[in-house]
Amino acid sequence: MTAAVVDHPVEHSSGGGGLMRRLNAATAVLAGGVLALIGWFVSHVTLQDGDHGSNQVVLITMACWALGFMIGIGAFNGPINWLLGRDQEHADELFLAGKDQGVRRYFRFTTDHKVVGIQYLIVTMTLFAVGGTLAMMIRTNLITPKSHFLNAQTYNAVVGLHGLIMIIATIIMVTGPFGNFIMPIMIGARDMAFPRLNALSLWLIVSAIPVLLSAAFLGGIPTGWVGYAPLADQAPPGMEAYAVTIIIFAMSSAVAGANITTTVLTMRARGMSWNRTPIFVYGTVASVGLAIPAFPMFMASQVLLEVDRTQGGNFYVASGGGSPWLYANLFWLMGHPEVYVILIPALAALMELTPVFARKPLFSFNAAIVAIAGIVGLSVMVWAHHMYASGWAPDLNGPFMLTTEMISVPTGLLFLVILGTIWRGRLWTTLPMMATYAMLWNFIIGGVTGIYLSDVPADYALHGSMFVTAHFHYTLMGAGLTGAIGALCYWFPKMTGRMLSRGPALISFWLVQIGFNITFLGMFAVGLAGQPRRVVTYAHLFATGNFVSTIGAYLIGIGMLFLLYGVISSWRHGELAPTNPWGAKSLEWTVPNPVPLENFEVLPVVTADVYGFGEPVSVPEELPATEPATVGAGDSTVLAAPAGTES
Amino acid sequence: MLSATSERSRRPEFRQIFWLWLGMTVLLVLFSLWVPARLMGPPASQTMRDVEETMTVFSVAASPVAALVWSVAAYSLLRWRDRSGGQPAEDGVPLRGNSVVTLSWVTVSSLLCVFLLIWGLAEMTTTNASAEATNPLVVDVTGQQWVWTFTYPDQGNVESDQLYLPLNRPVVFRVTSEDVIHSFWVVQMGIKVDANPGTVTKTSVRPDKLGVFDVRCAELCGLRHADMETSAHVVSPADFNGWITQNGGHV
Amino acid sequence: MIMKDSAATLDNEWRCAQSSIGHVDYGGGVIVRRVLLGGAAVVLGGVAVVALTGTILNRAGATPGTLRATVNGTAQTSQGVLPHAFLDLATYPDSMAGPHGSSGGAHPDWVTYGPVSNFSVPAHSLVTITIKQYDSGEKITNPYFAKVHGTVGGTVTVDGKTETQTDPDLIGHTFTIHGAPTNQDPLFVSVPLPAVADDAPTAPGSDYPAPHVVTFDIITGGPGEYIWNCEYPCGDGYYAKFGGPMATQGYMSGTFNVV
Repeated sequence: MTAAVVDHPVEHSSGGGGLMRRLNAATAVLAGGVLALIGWFVSHVTLQDGDHGSNQVVLITMACWALGFMIGIGAFNGPINWLLGRDQEHADELFLAGKDQGVRRYFRFTTDHKVVGIQYLIVTMTLFAVGGTLAMMIRTNLITPKSHFLNAQTYNAVVGLHGLIMIIATIIMVTGPFGNFIMPIMIGARDMAFPRLNALSLWLIVSAIPVLLSAAFLGGIPTGWVGYAPLADQAPPGMEAYAVTIIIFAMSSAVAGANITTTVLTMRARGMSWNRTPIFVYGTVASVGLAIPAFPMFMASQVLLEVDRTQGGNFYVASGGGSPWLYANLFWLMGHPEVYVILIPALAALMELTPVFARKPLFSFNAAIVAIAGIVGLSVMVWAHHMYASGWAPDLNGPFMLTTEMISVPTGLLFLVILGTIWRGRLWTTLPMMATYAMLWNFIIGGVTGIYLSDVPADYALHGSMFVTAHFHYTLMGAGLTGAIGALCYWFPKMTGRMLSRGPALISFWLVQIGFNITFLGMFAVGLAGQPRRVVTYAHLFATGNFVSTIGAYLIGIGMLFLLYGVISSWRHGELAPTNPWGAKSLEWTVPNPVPLENFEVLPVVTADVYGFGEPVSVPEELPATEPATVGAGDSTVLAAPAGTES
Repeated sequence: MLSATSERSRRPEFRQIFWLWLGMTVLLVLFSLWVPARLMGPPASQTMRDVEETMTVFSVAASPVAALVWSVAAYSLLRWRDRSGGQPAEDGVPLRGNSVVTLSWVTVSSLLCVFLLIWGLAEMTTTNASAEATNPLVVDVTGQQWVWTFTYPDQGNVESDQLYLPLNRPVVFRVTSEDVIHSFWVVQMGIKVDANPGTVTKTSVRPDKLGVFDVRCAELCGLRHADMETSAHVVSPADFNGWITQNGGHV
Repeated sequence: MIMKDSAATLDNEWRCAQSSIGHVDYGGGVIVRRVLLGGAAVVLGGVAVVALTGTILNRAGATPGTLRATVNGTAQTSQGVLPHAFLDLATYPDSMAGPHGSSGGAHPDWVTYGPVSNFSVPAHSLVTITIKQYDSGEKITNPYFAKVHGTVGGTVTVDGKTETQTDPDLIGHTFTIHGAPTNQDPLFVSVPLPAVADDAPTAPGSDYPAPHVVTFDIITGGPGEYIWNCEYPCGDGYYAKFGGPMATQGYMSGTFNVV
């Protein structure tokens, strides 16, 4: 973002500039804590003894925390200054963008998309660490039929928290770090369209984390991650933690979605027509574009839930005239698109990196786009396949079976794109490329088992069993998380300036992939045999399968720890990375390490797409005569060769 | 640029891919025929028998598809892998796409999709048809946190915590809940329907095997969800009548 | 992260760097040792965190204390002569009695069972269970649980009178024992506990009115782990009145083990 140089001398700005420089994560926690305490005290005194009193108190306290946190991090500074008619000084803009602040800029409301990307990466890793630990708890409890490791109450709460944390983590794991850090550079922009909204979307999630974890002290979430009413109506105040987390998260993803979509629509470099836009950009836009209609459904379901829980509403209470099916429909209207929100960026990242490591163009770029569009379009029409057995609309089971099975066609097309890309390539088996192969294995299993579940009579046997759990772990973790790890290995040199050391990453890859398959193949077996989901104990018949699953889970855990070690040690003292270690052609590989604050000295002009491997480099023609610079262009346009090495 | 000889030497050997594919398909088909149905256990109704058949057929149908993806992936690693240890000195063949391949792929996958759909619809129709049986036994199933109770309205409202069913007679379950959503699942008979408060859902089956089978709750319903289990006893019609009269009902 | 700005030199060195991405003789035991030690440290640290979390969660929400039935002699039953065990419990209208401490614990106004919520009875025995019911109540929603199920003779003795069911309009709680029947003998017992009148006066020397005393016999099968919970909706203020104490172990639900 290049602002015009201000004519008058830079004064120490009143209030705005000075205050803003003092706000950071610590003041956010302080402000959040103080406001929460005030909110708690006032509501406790006035509302506690009324109907639904404790739910109301908890809700108000959490809302006050979130509001205080956002005030304390400085999220409101910009809007308030704008309302007061104060323009932002250039020095303030640079400060907000984190210039010359070193590490501290990561603990502030920093607008630089690269900082936000790294912050998202840290948040994602933290969420995975917590969710993964909870997974170890679950599997340890299930190592024998009646292990008594966790009592029923704790187990249900752990299951619910594990699920919700992982869902949030997987939603943000690719679009957060890489959609923010890499994507603007990839399209030749200096930052995102709305840098302050960018920081807002991140800090909203940070504010929600303590809310979510507070459930542990409030009786837990007894409903699993889906939060089904009317069990949710019955739940202890931990359910408020669930609802508030979701409401905050929906706001964050709406904001991020608007930001990413606008950025891609309006800020691509000159010459980057849609034909030349990398597939990763398409994937990111598709994902957040799908989230924009979907997550408000989830938010709505939680608002209605809170009306039930704090005001005695009966939205989901049958005896009061409501219907539990209302919740299920609102939820799954979000829930099904949401899995594609998770999956599409991961697959798009793999489609972005596979050409680089096969040294070949992406096979049928247009088919990839049609496939993504097909998945997005169909995904909003399939939601009730989660409700075949609910009894809501048995006559609609057939049509939903149709739409669900149709999704296999565009999904299969994505397989063709990947296979076509590796076909007759020069395969460079780096960690990112290995992730592609792991996805090819895992996603076939995940996809095929989804087909079983889409068949209505088969679903009557399998719904609510561990078969479903294994299916969605194969897709979301086997394809999704694997893709995200591939993306991390691929873009690590650009984001950190260092190479990810191969040893720990390699050990991690094999431990995780082998452990993953052991865990969830065992889970398919016990699901077929009749073990329900979300049970703290089970019949002896399922003992072997569960034991095997638990051992596999421990392998995954150790493998992820190796990855953590590899990431930390490489970040701190890994080998310095060259500008373009992979010989890739997209724009992010043309900027030096560390990436300068405004990314490009001179904004590039794009003349070819990024998949020109094996093709002769065309010598550019004369500069087009005096075309006006587009918005956001640099001082002069210089023809930049497609990024990458000489071939 | 790529030399002509190096390019020829890297042409795919379709025969090798074919054998890889065939081998994998055979293994996967054997797996499909043998494993899923066996894991699901002996069926206690035609419904379950159909489900196990579906699982087997879908697995067999998926085998060549999975084998195609995996054989190409495996072959690529055997044949096209650059072994220099660093960035390959040459690029691959610049294939941007192949309309014939793409169209064939989409056509075949669409046909497979149609097959799955027809299979599923046919299966649903037979299940529904058998549910329209005359003179079914009616059992009211009530789920309450965390217990299943069964009432036989046509036999004098006999109540029980265990399900007793006569062999070979179609039964219709009218399922409801007193509180939260549960899910009534008779595992070996392959039927499941949610128990919702304030409404009655239905499922039906014709048990055709004597024995004791599992009734489980398949929707997380709170603290004791894992314990919400009981038994379904399929007995001879005479034994069923005896059980009814023993519990104060009439035949 | 603060990096040295060495972009210029990097491009010149990238060819060297590139060659070190693949298999390399790092030429130093130092680096290998660091990877091994560092990796081991992170893995061990992670395992320690998981173990610590497990230890904390293992104790979370625990309801300590098990009441063992006292065995006293034998009894003649339809299944022959069996050992005779006795178990005494009570239901209270708040948590001031029971296992929550004298101040009532986190939810002093919740109804609760006592003295604890975990019970242990011997296998293949006649168990006489006596429950003192101190709480008021009203109409039960599911009439099934107004009836007696699973006891010897299908009866209970309430304040000395033998009954097979209780007035469904005046039930305080139920004591319902059940569990997954896989790998253990089925056990299903449900006994309605009549409600104390709303206007009953407090008994002398006690904080509560005089209770209804409900006694019944059950015959246990082989060893197994079961649970019990109340099936009368007494979780006031919660949906279907099945939340709160009804859905929290240590109050209206617990374990019932046959050993």
